[in-house]
Amino acid sequence: MAYYFDELIVSEIRKKNEGVLRELYKTHYAMIVNLVCTNSGTEQEAKDIYQEAVLAFYERVQQADFILTCKIKTYLYAVCRRLWLKRLQAKKRFQGSLEETESFLGADEEALNAEEKEKQFADMKTALEGLGEPCRSIIEDFYIHDLSMETIREKFGYTNADNAKNQKYKCLQRLKKLFFDAHKDH
Amino acid sequence: MNTEQDLLDRYAKGALSAQETAALEERMKQDPTFREQVEKHLSLIHALQFYGERSRLLKTLDDAHQEIETPEKVVPLARPAGWKRYWMTAVAASVALISILGTLFMTRSLDTKQTAIYKELRRTVEQIKKSQKLMMEDMAEVKEKPNPSPEAYAGTGFLISSNGYVATSYHVIKESDSVIIENARFGRLKATIVHSDPANDVSILKIEQKLDDLAQPLPYTLSMNEANLAEDVYTLGYPREDIVFGEGSVSALTGFKQNPNAYQVSVPVNPGNSGGPLLNTKGDLVGVISGTQTETMGAAFAIKSTVLMDVIGQVNVDSAALPLTLPKQNTMKNSTRVQQVKRWKDFVFMVRVYKN
Repeated sequence: MAYYFDELIVSEIRKKNEGVLRELYKTHYAMIVNLVCTNSGTEQEAKDIYQEAVLAFYERVQQADFILTCKIKTYLYAVCRRLWLKRLQAKKRFQGSLEETESFLGADEEALNAEEKEKQFADMKTALEGLGEPCRSIIEDFYIHDLSMETIREKFGYTNADNAKNQKYKCLQRLKKLFFDAHKDH
Repeated sequence: MNTEQDLLDRYAKGALSAQETAALEERMKQDPTFREQVEKHLSLIHALQFYGERSRLLKTLDDAHQEIETPEKVVPLARPAGWKRYWMTAVAASVALISILGTLFMTRSLDTKQTAIYKELRRTVEQIKKSQKLMMEDMAEVKEKPNPSPEAYAGTGFLISSNGYVATSYHVIKESDSVIIENARFGRLKATIVHSDPANDVSILKIEQKLDDLAQPLPYTLSMNEANLAEDVYTLGYPREDIVFGEGSVSALTGFKQNPNAYQVSVPVNPGNSGGPLLNTKGDLVGVISGTQTETMGAAFAIKSTVLMDVIGQVNVDSAALPLTLPKQNTMKNSTRVQQVKRWKDFVFMVRVYKN
């Protein structure tokens, strides 16, 4: 029954049904809070790694080759457990062992994948923050929110479309520099 | 430059016509630096789109998180108007109250407990004394010798070495001031507690005076191996003033609540059997009777002899001055059960516990 239900959730998430995602998020949150808080963490830290894991799950489900090999609960638990272990190691606060009650094959790769995605996200975030306004808004509006050049021109008060285009071009060049330079460092 | 970027943007969004795409890809083949530029542009755009998608999802999750932290508001129902509504409620409530009280009155109990409880098998002697007294009075033969301090509990114990060590259950002797052991052959002997293991419910006693009768080694051994399922076993004990034999078989290799240190046996036992030896067909000790489960017929529990051996090991460490030499050879394994019991009963004692 539970398995069947999980399959249903996966197929709904494939359709990008965000209501299901919200419900999924709410269902297992307490479990992760418990995991983190009983292992020298705070609720805020639990929230961070849990969101990371849920997003990783969401993105993995979008991939065509994804097959659910265990219960979603197990997936989230195992991934969060590994993420939390890494955080603890980084903080050098790790005492004893974190009991592993549930896991699945390939949990390590999934956790690694989740971390990588989180890093990509953080990288882009720093690059965008370094860009400053109005560049950031122009880039976000054009590339993320898919607004047309004409709307952007009106919104930012440029006299003609060419000015707006020039501005966008400069902004993108700067972002390119910020983003790829940061990449080189890693 | 600007037009080129426009082209690339449209390429990234997949908005180029087939002809334009072909031209672009042809140029990428010809010009490696241009290709690198295009790929860089594409990866940046993809990273941007990934960022956008993820921040939108994060917002969704944060929204969901808000819902966790602020539980849904309870919308109060509209108040029922008028006296009539209250009247209906009052009638319903009184009907409910009457039926509950009526049921309680008829069954006279709120108690529906059906839990199985582990029951230790030491005998409370006071109770038996009292009922005995009543019986005696009935028979009009009242001859009482008042004891200075009447014994409180009684159990069973048995010799584990020829130099006077006795094993019994911890719960039998746990509240004792003094312990007297007694059987038909040796009479009453005072014993001291040498070692107790409350976790395993085993205690080792030492008889204070030296046993002259017992020059030869004991005729049985303590089994080092676990008993098998369905193996025939029997016990000797003092649930009353005389020794009582009981037999059955090993029904499970774990005890109460899957306790791995005990067996479940189908031997009839009663209060007073605690601490009695559980023996196999050869007459070797395989366990120590310790308790039973209420609500279940024919389920008694015995601590495994392997556990007893561990406890004996601890005694040797504790008191090296008094060597506890275990019997090494079983000289009655080929005897019939009747012969075995005849010899065994000399080494089984009633353990009388006195406390003030």
